[in-house]
Amino acid sequence: MTIRKEQEYILQQAAREQLLLGNIDRREFLTRSLVTGLGLAGVGAVAKTGIGTAFAQDRPLTPTFYQWIQDLHPSIPAVNAKFPGVNYQIAPVEGFGIERFVAEAKNKESTWDVYVGQTPFVEMSAMIEADVIEPWDDYIPKDVLDDIIPSIREECTINGKLYGWPFLLDVIGNSWHSGVTTKAGLPDAAPATWDEYLANAKTIVDSKAAPFGATFDAHGWRSLVPMAHSMSSQVYTKEGLFDFTSDAAIEALMLMKKIMAVSHPDILLEGASDGGVNGTPDEVAFAAQRVGYFVKYFNAPLRMAQYWDDPKALHLGPLPKFANGEGSTAFWTTGSALFKHGKNKEKAAEYIKALTYDAQIWKDSIAGTASGHPGQLPPYKSIYLEWDANKPDWMPDFVSLVRGQLDRAKAITNHIFGLQQFVIGKPLWDAYLKGEETDPKAAMQKVVEAVQAEMKRGK
Amino acid sequence: MSAVAMRLDDRIADRVNLLRQGMTTWLFLLPAVIFFVGYQAYPIFRVLWISFTDYEFLTNEPARWIGFGNYAEALSDPLMWTSLWRAALFTIMFLPGTIILPLLLAILVDRVTDQRLAALYRVVLLIPAVIPSTLVFVLWKWMYNFQSGPINHFLVDTTGLFTLQNAPQWLGGTPLTLPSIAIMEVWWGLGYHTIFFLAGLAAIPKDLPEAARIDGASEWQVFWHVTRPRLAPIMMILVVLRFGTAMAVIDEYLIFGGFNRDSPTYTWTIFMYDQAFKLGLWRQGFAAAIGMIGAVGMMFVMVFLLRIFRPRG
Repeated sequence: MTIRKEQEYILQQAAREQLLLGNIDRREFLTRSLVTGLGLAGVGAVAKTGIGTAFAQDRPLTPTFYQWIQDLHPSIPAVNAKFPGVNYQIAPVEGFGIERFVAEAKNKESTWDVYVGQTPFVEMSAMIEADVIEPWDDYIPKDVLDDIIPSIREECTINGKLYGWPFLLDVIGNSWHSGVTTKAGLPDAAPATWDEYLANAKTIVDSKAAPFGATFDAHGWRSLVPMAHSMSSQVYTKEGLFDFTSDAAIEALMLMKKIMAVSHPDILLEGASDGGVNGTPDEVAFAAQRVGYFVKYFNAPLRMAQYWDDPKALHLGPLPKFANGEGSTAFWTTGSALFKHGKNKEKAAEYIKALTYDAQIWKDSIAGTASGHPGQLPPYKSIYLEWDANKPDWMPDFVSLVRGQLDRAKAITNHIFGLQQFVIGKPLWDAYLKGEETDPKAAMQKVVEAVQAEMKRGK
Repeated sequence: MSAVAMRLDDRIADRVNLLRQGMTTWLFLLPAVIFFVGYQAYPIFRVLWISFTDYEFLTNEPARWIGFGNYAEALSDPLMWTSLWRAALFTIMFLPGTIILPLLLAILVDRVTDQRLAALYRVVLLIPAVIPSTLVFVLWKWMYNFQSGPINHFLVDTTGLFTLQNAPQWLGGTPLTLPSIAIMEVWWGLGYHTIFFLAGLAAIPKDLPEAARIDGASEWQVFWHVTRPRLAPIMMILVVLRFGTAMAVIDEYLIFGGFNRDSPTYTWTIFMYDQAFKLGLWRQGFAAAIGMIGAVGMMFVMVFLLRIFRPRG
């Protein structure tokens, strides 16, 4: 049944392509569509009548994207135009689910060839485990592979194989509302240390420049992890889990509590947002110009500042350091995965190369367009070198700052519990943040135990 | 032909006729039977079977039969009991709102003598019921938003009853989350439930309450002794149906509560979903056992509710 459906689908798509290219007229297209609709009998009829040349062709390159990627990057259709016949699709899943991909892989098939939307620490291990994806190594050109920033290449690699072709880079940094900081009498510069950050945030509250001094996104991978990395990026256990009881993690948790003292009371709330991604309490506070400083990946403040009286008041900078800290941060890329049971693999590599090197996409992402300002950055060394050599007039300063941090930044280690360890742990470390537990280490020990207990379930 | 042979022929002919009638009946029943087996019985038995295996969706290893292993694990997990209790708590908050308020409204609307006005009331009441769920969730998420929602705007900026520091946090895992969702659900189903009662009221002969009034019964006595018993079947249907839907709520909890295990919205349905589609290798065998425990528990309570709310006399 599935094979028949796929054959029908291929025929329909091929007929559509030929109609668009002007090779067949509408009458012929309708005839083919009707015959295809007859199912297997129709497929046979098509083949017998000689109009099955379409079926003989491979299906067109079929990438699937998430809706938000298309929304944030309006130049993607221009890249598609360079690949005539590309069957560009939006992922058929709600939120960030991979259920459909796994279900198809179990039948050793895939409707799509390449999935643009994979975040390594979130889902890459699961897709490998489920035999959904295969490495890019046989298809990615060597020069492209070598061009990937080393920390990003490490993020996308498991057992020496590149399972993710990076595309959109999100780096956690600090941003501030210069209108608020100026009103509070603070210098218009990024705080270098967390102590300075906290002192400035307190000044904002005390001076009533804004009701709140600072904020962060309470999801662990967006706050606990980057803050821990700013102390040390060596916070992962041998098995690849986040080391919740490491000194850096404890310092980060204590820092979060200190920031909470100058923040909005709903900072820890979940579930009032769009799938935990957009509209989080920190974003609402920053958009409402009620807070001075904001720790999050840059596309969040860039999006929120669009609601301000003066969006130019937004300034971006690197994450502050602990006095004796490493000064690292956390990042992740949203990239592409190659479906093991897909087709057109060489073509997929060509397409993803064109997509990820497209100059217009990066200009739009960094400088913003009428439809949005994602602030996501490219994953390739050569692009930054070119910008350094000939700085475009639209280039903001934060890009070079972030690029500098990337040499020290680290992604969350890939693991089947890469994301879920933070979901399991949050209510437990929240007990410390809410004052229900006085010892941060005790709270974090409970997190370790809960994650281990969950891992022990199953085979 | 002998009389015996004729009787035998008649008997055979009767049997054939009966069989033919039976065949015809089954032929007409066939679509319903196929639908029932394909869409109801098969999935239930499939899930039941999975619940006795160690099936994990993300591995390609075949599922092994492990007997009651998943059930024992689920029943010994405190999260199973906590999450069941949370669902029950929500049901306790929600269920009265599906009976008392709609009943009251139905009685009021039923007394409106101007037919055009009565029709208008019915339409207005039904408006929330025809709004798609996504819109309802977006609307109430905005209403309840801590910083920018109109409720807190009224409480903080308009009346000054609260400040930005102590304003109520309606959603996102606070103790107010379940009541907030229950209020939304009651609002959403108000018109729908009221229509049930209006249909029931329309079926009560008008001379019955009139006779009671003539005999000197007060309005309360009319309601309690005449109206209420005749609405009992509707109450029973509503209570049983809405008990089932309230205990098994999942969309609202996913949207308003996420996967925080401390959140009151982390009920058995979320526990099941978390295990089946989020955690580790997606332990769907275990998740199926959680689902079965929840479903069987609900069935027991439903039998109890059917007994309590059964029409008497």
